[in-house]
Amino acid sequence: MPELSYREAVRDALAAAMRADDDVFIMGEDIAEMGGSMGVTQGLLDEFGPERVRNTPISEMAIVGAGIGAAMAGMRPVVEIMYEDFLTLSLEQIVNQAAKHRYMSGGQLKVPLTIRTQGGAGWSPGAQHAQQLEAWLVHVPGLKVVFPSTPEDVRGILWSAIYDDNPVIVFEHRLLYPVKGEVPEELVPIPIGKARTVRAGTDVTVIATGPLVHRSLDAAKRAEEEGISVEVIDPRSLQPLDEDALVASVKKTNRVVVAHEAVERMGFGAEVAAVLQYKAFDWLDAPIERVGAKFAPLAFAPVMEQFVVPGPDDVLAAIRRTVGR
Amino acid sequence: MADEVKLPRLGQGMEAGTITRWLKSEGETVEKGEPLFEVDTDKVTQEVEAEVGGTLLKIALAEGEAPVGQTVAWIGEPGEEIKEEAAPPPAAANPETPEPSSPPANLVREVTPPPSTNGGRIKASPLARRIARERGIDLAALRGTGPEGRIIAEDVEKAQAAPAPRAPVPVGEVESIPLTSIRKTIARRLTAAWQAPVFQLTLSADMTRANELVARSRELNPDVRVTVTDVLAKICAQALMRHRDVNVQYTEDALLRFPTANVGIAVAAPQGLVVPVVRGVERLSLAEVATARDEVVGRARDNKLATQDLEDGTFTISNLGMFGVEQFVAVLNPPQAAILAVGATVDTPVVRGGAVVVKPMMTLTLTVDHRAVDGAEGADFLRTVKQFLEDPALAL
Repeated sequence: MPELSYREAVRDALAAAMRADDDVFIMGEDIAEMGGSMGVTQGLLDEFGPERVRNTPISEMAIVGAGIGAAMAGMRPVVEIMYEDFLTLSLEQIVNQAAKHRYMSGGQLKVPLTIRTQGGAGWSPGAQHAQQLEAWLVHVPGLKVVFPSTPEDVRGILWSAIYDDNPVIVFEHRLLYPVKGEVPEELVPIPIGKARTVRAGTDVTVIATGPLVHRSLDAAKRAEEEGISVEVIDPRSLQPLDEDALVASVKKTNRVVVAHEAVERMGFGAEVAAVLQYKAFDWLDAPIERVGAKFAPLAFAPVMEQFVVPGPDDVLAAIRRTVGR
Repeated sequence: MADEVKLPRLGQGMEAGTITRWLKSEGETVEKGEPLFEVDTDKVTQEVEAEVGGTLLKIALAEGEAPVGQTVAWIGEPGEEIKEEAAPPPAAANPETPEPSSPPANLVREVTPPPSTNGGRIKASPLARRIARERGIDLAALRGTGPEGRIIAEDVEKAQAAPAPRAPVPVGEVESIPLTSIRKTIARRLTAAWQAPVFQLTLSADMTRANELVARSRELNPDVRVTVTDVLAKICAQALMRHRDVNVQYTEDALLRFPTANVGIAVAAPQGLVVPVVRGVERLSLAEVATARDEVVGRARDNKLATQDLEDGTFTISNLGMFGVEQFVAVLNPPQAAILAVGATVDTPVVRGGAVVVKPMMTLTLTVDHRAVDGAEGADFLRTVKQFLEDPALAL
């Protein structure tokens, strides 16, 4: 199987969709000649031309708004928001327009818009360029939210997002772009709403998203050395959520750690914990542990940034707490 | 109140640990995270760190084994009050374990409830609660070994293994079946029989020729269905004639020795166990035995026995071989002195002339009333039965 970086996998999915379908085009800040600030769209301008690889002004509201309009007019646009921190500027369009038109038109309109964005700490981008805001959007009915963690997943899920008739927000993570992984020769679409068991185990289930999937795998390996068998599950899609897969795992292990890089308070993990305590209450043998960023803005100073953001040690400590060590 | 230091679970499945050494002594200041003592588990020796900072007020277990979750020390402010549980006895495996030193005078000794209770509320995980509910286990009786003394599923599972009170298995309404008079008779007679001092003798007989005899009899006279029981009845009757001291009834004053072998056949009739008697079996041909047995057993099954059908028996045969039972002990049928329990005929490897061969073997167990018959007499009779079974011609 060929190996792609996460960045290349995103590009591969975009190119494949654009080759397959003239309705697919991409828009965003500096995505054409520059190839995007993270280099994801490099080379696409050469293949698909300026009509379909469009630079935009620096206005997130305009980017998303134009995407919504094109989507309602029958296109399958993929817009890029350079940093998810700036997604805040387009929230009116996402929350009040993209999420609502299909419902408010009684199904006469649909919004097959894909919004790609990225963020995350770990490289000292500072308080305004390092946040993880995915939970904000999971809260809005009418949107789908995905957060793939591997090249294979991002390629297959981005494809499904493009061909979904509803607005889908695809969260990517800055630190994942160089991560390499094997992918199938041919692009295999991965349905939105299906979790993936990354690692099987029997004592504790760690439900992790984005970079925490990888940090949890580190923690799981170390826990294994201590005799604790850890199952790691990546929901991949935060909305819709594969509750059945999570509940099934918890019924097997009876202990849960939920881990994400976003701030712990009101994070995605809070929702997962609530779902599991309700659906698997009688199977829980320990309080559900949450691992997330401390409730603080992210500093430029690497040491301070690392103090706030959860790493493998934090996941391991939570795993140990669930088994009473 | 001072914080309890409990023996932690250092690995899945760890139930107890042995404290080998304290790295701090009483009165010393301890930082959170500082190594406090060393524990030997069945796998490793490990340092245990303090979970809280403060003064090590008291060491409850200086050395020796303790179950996971047991309080081994207290950390708190100097002079702080310690709530001590009734100290569990040191593990039997370590008789040399020194007793915990007697507590300083300022310690208040009082018995506290198990650590999992907290103001009446039992601290237990939802899973532990569910398992306890399903199995009818009282959580209040358990000691939690989870974080903060919480009762976890493993604790309940272990309680299950112990002889704990269990919820009654739900059953349907109990049916009351009044005793029939025959059931009462069976009960009275068997209870009386149980009083008799009996002994049992067991041997096996090679049934090759007896089986041939049954087959040949059926072949010659298809109208009468001869069975193994008939052969046994006939052979026992012949043997009883040679061992008349076994062909007796025991009474308070005398042994009644009978001139004929009146052989009872234990029958599982619909109304209960009955033992109709075939009289004078020694004088009957095999076919006559079969006919008489068939007739009387048939009446037993139809509940049409007369009193005299059940009287004057001198010996009883109880055959459960048709159920596959290989060997059993029959209860005496007083006033008769002996009863033969007959098992199934089973192809069995036996040694003949130094070689192992397979033979159809039947195990016979004779129950004998020792008040009437002594061991040697009984054994001699049983040996004759075996000889006759193995070579029926000898019974002539």
